[in-house]
Amino acid sequence: MKVDWTKYVLALVITVAIFYTAYYVATRIDATRIADIRTAQQNISIDLLSTQIQFELLGSLDCQAIKENPVLTSQLNTIADRLAYAENSLGKDNAEVIQLKKQYSLLEIKDYLLMEQISQKCKTKTVSVLYFYSNNGDCASCTRSAEVLTYLRQTYPDLRVYSFDYNLDLSALKTLISLRKVDGPFPAIIINNRDPVYGFRNLEEMQALIPELKNLASTTAATSTKQR
Amino acid sequence: MLHLMAMNIGTAGVYFCLFLALYFEVFLLISFLAKKPSKKTSLLPKHYPTVSMVVPCFNESGTLATTINSLLSMDYPKDKLEIIVIDDGSTDRTREIGEEFARREPQVSFFHKENGGKYTALNFAIAHSTADLIGCLDADSFADKDALIEVVKRFEEDEEIMAIVPVMKVHNPRSPLELMQMAEYTFGIFVKKMFDNLGAISVLPGPFSLYRRRVFSIVGLFKHAHNTEDMEIAFRIQKHGLKIVNAHTAFVYTTVPTTVRTLVKQRTRWTQGFLQNSRDYWFMFGNPKFGNFGVFVLPFGMAMFFAALYLSSFMLYQLISSIVLTTIHILTTGIVPYPSWPTFDWFYFDTSTTTFVIAITLGLTLVSMVIGRHIAKSTFGLPAVLSYILLYGLIAPLWLAQALLGTVLARESSWR
Repeated sequence: MKVDWTKYVLALVITVAIFYTAYYVATRIDATRIADIRTAQQNISIDLLSTQIQFELLGSLDCQAIKENPVLTSQLNTIADRLAYAENSLGKDNAEVIQLKKQYSLLEIKDYLLMEQISQKCKTKTVSVLYFYSNNGDCASCTRSAEVLTYLRQTYPDLRVYSFDYNLDLSALKTLISLRKVDGPFPAIIINNRDPVYGFRNLEEMQALIPELKNLASTTAATSTKQR
Repeated sequence: MLHLMAMNIGTAGVYFCLFLALYFEVFLLISFLAKKPSKKTSLLPKHYPTVSMVVPCFNESGTLATTINSLLSMDYPKDKLEIIVIDDGSTDRTREIGEEFARREPQVSFFHKENGGKYTALNFAIAHSTADLIGCLDADSFADKDALIEVVKRFEEDEEIMAIVPVMKVHNPRSPLELMQMAEYTFGIFVKKMFDNLGAISVLPGPFSLYRRRVFSIVGLFKHAHNTEDMEIAFRIQKHGLKIVNAHTAFVYTTVPTTVRTLVKQRTRWTQGFLQNSRDYWFMFGNPKFGNFGVFVLPFGMAMFFAALYLSSFMLYQLISSIVLTTIHILTTGIVPYPSWPTFDWFYFDTSTTTFVIAITLGLTLVSMVIGRHIAKSTFGLPAVLSYILLYGLIAPLWLAQALLGTVLARESSWR
């Protein structure tokens, strides 16, 4: 009984080649995803800068013009969803993902500061939530907190939720954390610049924590997406 | 954290199983390209050896007449073909039908014996036969008119061929469960032909397998063999280094289980038989002395068994985890997910390596089915493929788990 070992080796080579091709194609598509997020972030960066310059040019004289060109919360939210997906599929330690998260965090901080300025000068009432989470395995309820905030964000489109990975090595973020005196345990939430609130809050508790929600327009239907 | 670790180990296991499945399919496709099945010819055999077709039956009153009639209508000299019907202690009208045929048809001999199992019925018939070739046709099956001629032509090709297995097709499939089995049998037709190319056929199923008489004097008669005597005798023939081939131009039709319960029972018997016979023939595993049978068919058969069991357990674990997590989330967050239409944003399509490998593996399975369809001149189409994709993964784990349990507990599998 003869065994044709060549066939065995050939099958092994082809199988490995198929696996490698599948891996290569998957990697290329992931790279396209990263590029897609990067492009979106660059666009937001330009738009934010444009809004900032517009604000500085107009000062508080023309708040109406600023209101007609709202800062790009929905686009930031879209990036947040995409970034969460990329982080989930590529891993939280992926260098590209970390880089994009840093850029995203900077954009969030920039948007947050700009909105603070606009709010003060134009006397508009905004509701902002700074949400700090940890990805280091020390925050079992962070995913659920993110779900609650995502739900609120979708129910109240004017609610501005900024989520930050507490452990991200980013000096601007560290400054924000230090200024807002956030230390843990996580999740930590800062609503409209009040003192941080720590720990998981369900939907009812969160709504009680943000009484300003009553003044925001709400949608009736909301879908849930991951935020971090 | 533990959940994540379990997921990582679990995913690595999935990759390993997919690698095995893909290797198996690639290997068979290479074998196909190396030697494609020949076309059917209208040539007749040079000689017509005497043939005894044995019909072992136990409570087969519903299908016995069709089976005997299909043998009587065979394109084969009547003086060269005898039909031996062995009633293995039936309690229905099987005996009555068999005796009626024996009275009416000189080709038919009928014997009634106490119930002792299929292998005793076969051995009984072998003892009462003097024919050159001895075949078996289960009473739930029937063959094409030219099936015997096709098998005899194949025997003529090589004196060393000791046993021949035909192409098995599902008779008149209607329900999704039968269509699922039709697709599976079609894939099996391809696999069997490729095992033939490798000289490594591992089972000689009841429907229309034929043996040279002298093989029984070399390897011995049928054994109980954990209720899978057709598998064990193939193992034994392989052990003796004798040839088993596939006559891909001889078509046999079999009725398949019509309920999940009977299907699971049948497949549990087959699978448990494989596990238990593998244990009895452990020395052949990975042993090049037994050719591709020892190096490829046995190890891969076993590996695929555990891989299938692993994959189904992993998927079940994921499903249960997902249900538990969703329930916990709903209870703790107070948010009930609002049903919505899925969004078709390319960004969120699952384009992981696993997805591509699964797609390629499924694709190669479909290619194999199409080749099997071509070999068998079968007519299976989309409904059968869909039934296979939707049902097989749900039902197969039941018999795999049951077979493993039966083997571990040394519990005997049942026929019906």
